[in-house]
Amino acid sequence: MERSLTELESRPEDSALIAEIFRAVHTIKGTTGFLGFHRLESLAHSGENVLGLLREGKIKSSQQVITILLRTMDALRGILKRISVSGDDGAEEAMNDAPLIRELDQLSGLEAGPVYAAKSREKKKAASRKKAAATAKSLEESTASIQLPAMLQQLPQPAPPPEPVQYNRRATDVPGGASQAATESTLRVDVELLNRMMNLVGELVLTRNQILQHNSVNHGFNTLARRLDMVTSDLRESVMKARMQPVSYIFQKFPRMVRDLCHICNKHVQLDMVGQETELDKSLLEAIKDPLIHAVRNAIDHGMEPEADRVAIGKPVEGTVRLRAIQEGGHVVIEVSDDGRGMDPKRILQKAVDKGLVPAENAENMSEREIFQLVFMPGFSTAEKVTNVSGRGVGMDVVRTNVEKIGGKVELDSALGKGTTLRLRIPLTLAIVPALVVRACGETFAIPQNALFELVYVSEENVSTAIERVDNVQVYRLRGDLLPVVRLDELLKLPMEKSEQKKFFMVVLDADGRRFGLVVDELLDPEEIVVKPLSVVLRQMGLFSGATILGNGSLALILDPTAAAIRSNIALRNVEEDAAIAPAIEAEVSPEFLVFSTGRKGERPRRMALPLEIVDRIETVPFNRIEFAGQQPVMQYLGGLLPLLDESNLLHDLSESSSTNAAQTPVQILVIHHESEAVGIVVREVLDVTRGNIYADANLPGAENATSKVARIGDRVTVLQNMATVREILASQNSESVKNNMQLEVA
Amino acid sequence: MMSATSVSTTSAVETRALCSVRVGGQMYGVDINEVSEILGPSQQRSVPCAPHFIGGLVPYRGEVLTTVNLRALFDLPPFEQLSSALVVEGESGTYGLLVDAVCEVAQVTAETFEAIPSTLDAKRKALLRGAYKLPKGLLIQLELKRLDPMALMAMSSSVAV
Repeated sequence: MERSLTELESRPEDSALIAEIFRAVHTIKGTTGFLGFHRLESLAHSGENVLGLLREGKIKSSQQVITILLRTMDALRGILKRISVSGDDGAEEAMNDAPLIRELDQLSGLEAGPVYAAKSREKKKAASRKKAAATAKSLEESTASIQLPAMLQQLPQPAPPPEPVQYNRRATDVPGGASQAATESTLRVDVELLNRMMNLVGELVLTRNQILQHNSVNHGFNTLARRLDMVTSDLRESVMKARMQPVSYIFQKFPRMVRDLCHICNKHVQLDMVGQETELDKSLLEAIKDPLIHAVRNAIDHGMEPEADRVAIGKPVEGTVRLRAIQEGGHVVIEVSDDGRGMDPKRILQKAVDKGLVPAENAENMSEREIFQLVFMPGFSTAEKVTNVSGRGVGMDVVRTNVEKIGGKVELDSALGKGTTLRLRIPLTLAIVPALVVRACGETFAIPQNALFELVYVSEENVSTAIERVDNVQVYRLRGDLLPVVRLDELLKLPMEKSEQKKFFMVVLDADGRRFGLVVDELLDPEEIVVKPLSVVLRQMGLFSGATILGNGSLALILDPTAAAIRSNIALRNVEEDAAIAPAIEAEVSPEFLVFSTGRKGERPRRMALPLEIVDRIETVPFNRIEFAGQQPVMQYLGGLLPLLDESNLLHDLSESSSTNAAQTPVQILVIHHESEAVGIVVREVLDVTRGNIYADANLPGAENATSKVARIGDRVTVLQNMATVREILASQNSESVKNNMQLEVA
Repeated sequence: MMSATSVSTTSAVETRALCSVRVGGQMYGVDINEVSEILGPSQQRSVPCAPHFIGGLVPYRGEVLTTVNLRALFDLPPFEQLSSALVVEGESGTYGLLVDAVCEVAQVTAETFEAIPSTLDAKRKALLRGAYKLPKGLLIQLELKRLDPMALMAMSSSVAV
């Protein structure tokens, strides 16, 4: 932070830098606030006021401002040191901070004045600026008036230093409090040591991979390799387990925090905690602590309506905030949900436009999902006034920054009037990841499997048609949707041999909602790779997230799918759009058909089809199980008799056959149902199950029956046979049941 | 300016040991105290889209080491054989310096030191600290501070602007 502040002195316009400092101070304030270190909190709050104005450009970062901020930081550090030594923040010395706080408040309150005046003299934007200045000023005044009396009260009678014992008692008497036993039974391990173990295990995994690839030499070696494999896996698992800690480790801090927040905000909130036993890597757990604190603050301060409002709309007076942790595949999902007022997309958008975060002309076309994403932008807040708890719009920014830093994702769901859910998706661990190793132009690259969606193989004969072009952009038709295609060799500017097109593979990736196909020459093995960090220079390129040593001992770069997508201008897929399109497609897609062939032996087989939904089973039985009731072939089936429809006289031929093994010849029967009655259709061979469309009322010239309907199954045009014919055949075979079965004949 | 200050510091020391390396036809020297390890000829894993001065990656003690290609920096054609690497602790982390061959350690004295002549291109000159006039020929000391990949990056981007 000191570095950032001094950097700010040389680059006063750098807004990213200011945002960084602001986040740091905000986090200090937030954390200390809920721990009860009021001296630290009030100092940090004043400092934050100044930084907030700096960030919005309301005051310039002059040398004087930065000097004061640096002094603030020194003071903060002093108190922190005291806390780490003695456990209390020396509240009785809070008096010493008073001059500094006053100076800071003066800076934020008075310094701002002349700048507005100067700005408002600019003729063109005078009116709008004035308005902004006025609101900002009144905002500032309101904070000042909140802050100062609070301080005055605090000074004469400093808050008693909180005792750790007191914490524990309070934490447990809040409903849902963390079980103390769970934490006591665990062992404390030096994280440094754990990291070392992790590295060793990484090496072991590499060795195992190398041995596994050379295992054809002799059998003893093979066994050795297997044992090494087992040991490695076990060791890895146990080390991982040592790093894992239940989320209750951080959850247990929340009851107290929620209690204090409720007191400040004058709300009644019940905290519900689910899945506390869910485990997460220790370092990741630390990393999500701050985001969770911010999320819970937001839920209570912004999310919950005041009690009176809740009663008015018939909600229970006591609101509920739920913390939920579950494991989903390779991720742990942590949800913070509330049953508060929810978020109004319109209001968020309005606010974003007012704050200049979104150009007004873009605002109209934004989807709800995009709008909710705005909440995560630095400087965004919908709170009407800035309170001690939240409302500066730093919170969500911190949440996203921290979670993305550890490779996680943040999602936000909200229903107006019903509540908001914030979902943090955290990877279980970062050190060892499953990856697919691919090759392009002779170089190997690893692609993390969590981004992998599917693999498409394009054979030599299809190469020329598989990839189509829209202008100079390549696309591939994946089940009817156009998928943008990126060639790995082009993306990485690899030296391309201008050889003729050969077969290739396409790796379909979904990188945080950006879906695209990556064309590679070859797919190698899927491998568990140990991620090695790259040097700063290479990290800055952004294209690779690390490197790894493969089983054959060679180095491979780990491609960052998101960076690759962004570099290729792949846009975010809009989930809602997809959802809207999906049912439309569903409605268009006709039912599936079962395609089969009939016809006597020796004749050209005829392709026929039946709607799949009426097919119950496909039975293959020896011919001797089929009996004849007069001319009608029947089969005992599920304790009843199943009449069989044998249009092409397959059964007749078999019964006439002189061959000795005719009795054992397998016969395929489609068991179909119609109006609760079952009938079997004897077929020569079942070919396929595929989708098709029936074109009603289309006349087919030259067809056997003038009333035949046309259908398209797969990519072949087929004929829908007149149902009357089926009925006739059935009637002629003395069957009474099948009346309206649709049967399709392939033209 | 830079070389002037270097002169004053080097003249204070009687003799110093330089690890001499060959790049192209020229001998270069690196203060032996600044070299943490020498890696023999090894295969470089090239990094696509990386700045031109990046030689590639080599495995090093279970980590992956980024190397700086001196030939690329001195506009020499690529080396036909495998390069050796000096492992150096830089400001942005450990990195490797790719050289054609690592030769003996040379003992040099301050009297034989001379600054790089001003006729050399300023950009190139920044990478060199000065030259020692040895009987066998000149031994040019490399300015390791400037050879750190991040420093090179900053330099190349400032030139580009």
